[in-house]
Amino acid sequence: MQATDEAPCAIIEEDALRVQAYGLLARLLAEPPSAEFITRVAALEGDASAFGLALNELAAAARDASAEALAEEYHALFIGLAGGELTPYGSYYLTGFLFEKPLAELRADLARLGIVRQEQRTKDPEDHIAMLCEAMAGLIAGAFGEGPAALAEQRAFFDRHLGSWARQFFADLEAAEAARFYRPVGKIGRHFMEIERQAFAMAA
Amino acid sequence: MKDHRLKSSKRRDFLKLAGLGAGAAGVAAAGIARAEVKVERAKDEDRSLGYRESEQVKKYYALARF
Repeated sequence: MQATDEAPCAIIEEDALRVQAYGLLARLLAEPPSAEFITRVAALEGDASAFGLALNELAAAARDASAEALAEEYHALFIGLAGGELTPYGSYYLTGFLFEKPLAELRADLARLGIVRQEQRTKDPEDHIAMLCEAMAGLIAGAFGEGPAALAEQRAFFDRHLGSWARQFFADLEAAEAARFYRPVGKIGRHFMEIERQAFAMAA
Repeated sequence: MKDHRLKSSKRRDFLKLAGLGAGAAGVAAAGIARAEVKVERAKDEDRSLGYRESEQVKKYYALARF
């Protein structure tokens, strides 16, 4: 894949693909997609695997989507007047409340790993699903520290901050009433979390 | 990190077969996984151990932007 030729850091192809998958989820979940982004998503093509088929579903959904409609859908799902249909934060999934101990633990790990929130872009707590996906992408690619994080470090971060709840969140997204475009996003995320879990288990 | 490269081939094969290849390569080609970041690397003065130039970050962006 061309991207790895461009990037001389020690990252193998499979890990580059993981960076891309996490990056895709992060962009889809961080904010409502722009028209330009929707056009790019519409061009995606997966293979016959469960992950690939979900990607094809997403591309098809993007072809029928407009930025206005997706902004409404995003709002209904994640923000809403009295809270969106879903609450995409680890602390909420794990304890039923925001800003609980899981967030404190995450903040300690982020500080240790040299990852900070972009204060000018977001005031969300760091356990937002998009930020966690971005953190994983950066750890794998080596955006934060002295090169790519060791697999054991990636796995520890995943187990502590994503593995315990993200799969459930993506399943909820897939089943959410307001979800149209975001239904295949949930499916992609659910499959990818399962792939990650199994792959980490193989390396143990 | 060295052990990063020494992971089992079983794991690599699994990731290839899981469909990330076709799918995520398409993501790369479409240039859509570019880090539209809400998190970033801590500034060096904020890091207890950090001294590195931003070379890794540039590499990450080169990789992720493709």
